[in-house]
Amino acid sequence: MVIEDLAVGYGRQVILQGINLNVPRKASLGLLGSNGSGKTTLLKTIAGILPPLGGRINFVAIDGRVPVLGYVPQKEALDPMYMLSSYEVVLMGVCGRVGPGRLIGSKEKEWAHHCLEQTDANSFARKPFSQLSGGQKQRVLIARALAAKPDLLLLDEPTAGVDASATSAILDLLRRLHDSGLAIMMVNHDLAAIKRSVEEIAWVHAGKIETGSAAEMLSRDNLERLMDLK
Amino acid sequence: METLKEILDPNFLLRNSVYISLLIGFGCPLVGVYLVLRRLVFMGVALPQVSSCGIAFAFAFHAWGIIPHFENSENTLAFAGASLFTLGAIALLSWMEHRQRGGVEGRIGAAYVLAGAWSILLLVKNPYGEHGLLERLRGEIIAVSDRDLIVTAVVFLVVAGALLVFHKELMLVSYDREMAITLGKNVVLWDGFLFLLIGLTISLAVLSVGPLVTFGFLILPPLIARIFARTMRQFAIFSSLVGGISSLAGFWIAVQYDYPVGPIDVALLGCLYAIAFGIKAIAQAFAKC
Repeated sequence: MVIEDLAVGYGRQVILQGINLNVPRKASLGLLGSNGSGKTTLLKTIAGILPPLGGRINFVAIDGRVPVLGYVPQKEALDPMYMLSSYEVVLMGVCGRVGPGRLIGSKEKEWAHHCLEQTDANSFARKPFSQLSGGQKQRVLIARALAAKPDLLLLDEPTAGVDASATSAILDLLRRLHDSGLAIMMVNHDLAAIKRSVEEIAWVHAGKIETGSAAEMLSRDNLERLMDLK
Repeated sequence: METLKEILDPNFLLRNSVYISLLIGFGCPLVGVYLVLRRLVFMGVALPQVSSCGIAFAFAFHAWGIIPHFENSENTLAFAGASLFTLGAIALLSWMEHRQRGGVEGRIGAAYVLAGAWSILLLVKNPYGEHGLLERLRGEIIAVSDRDLIVTAVVFLVVAGALLVFHKELMLVSYDREMAITLGKNVVLWDGFLFLLIGLTISLAVLSVGPLVTFGFLILPPLIARIFARTMRQFAIFSSLVGGISSLAGFWIAVQYDYPVGPIDVALLGCLYAIAFGIKAIAQAFAKC
């Protein structure tokens, strides 16, 4: 994915502009920045949820087809009013491949189960999604994104509001997925967590974006500069 | 029991009213489920009122000679007015929501009160519309022609069929709009389709039973069903069953004790809601012990 001179925001309000970013096919990229810096807005623009206010996002074709994106929203975004089991939530991920009005076939259902297994969420597949813990919800949402058979997984704060052991399990899972060839891009506030789980970091700072390796970007000097501590 | 037999007799004088009550009882909760899930209950109050305002406008145009008279023109006009106003209100409220103009409650409250006021103002000086629409506003389900019954049955079947066939898409777009976009779904189109189904259902229901009863059947059965349902399928089925059975029971009580059907239906649904809450509270208290 190549981002050229991108401007993002809501309505006519530009939050970030002049963004240039190159995300390789097997990337593992963390998107960092202070609260309100525009990380989530950028992620949603890349996902196609928000229209870009300027510039371009070019997705390089993979085997002659447009790359598929898997999106993992913040778990609070989903309304507990809906009485959906975890399996039903995951099954939504296959809807992109099933035409309107068509029934979801047995192969797609098997794939949904496979995605639940991949994220160690099979044991609570039949439980109502709204009654799961934060960590369990994240695993289900990652399974749902995987059900779309994505080339790039976009995650918005996957460890927010999750306890330490669940955070560790989620990060291990994301590393495993990346090792199996999936490109990952995630927004996260937890520096320690992101240091362990991504190779590259894009830091949103003062309306611009700086990129580098995780070790380089999270060095003490660089952090002090980026966090305005100097 | 005799009254129930009489009501269900095919030769019963008000048989079309019974059938239309059942159709609305079973059908309205199916679209009401989406209003409850999308937290648009207030829209369920305002839209029937807007729909009846559309009927009042249609009758007013008729009385003022703007629209000429032709055979069956009253019903056609009423349906056109109800549909136009309902779908127009949905489009306007959605546009205002998109543009973040004013608060949600303020917009819907204003739509409700304005529609109510205009309905009365238009009826006061209208010799054609006053009688029929006042009956509808009171929820009296008396005169239903075979033609109206068939049109309502066909439209309700189409709506129920569309909700069933496109359940997957409508649920995805309602539950997680952002996910739907990343999966390549045209969310504006699917939202429009859902609101078209809701608008058609409300227009036809208001035409037959008025805004009060329409709101009652749109919202109360899903609220009752939600207390006991554990899955989305159960939620839809229970809602429809509660609505359908209540409509028949309401008709029976109304005939037996000589009350208007609509308000009896809504009062009955209100009692069921209170009972359901009571059962839930008792069950929770037992669970804690």
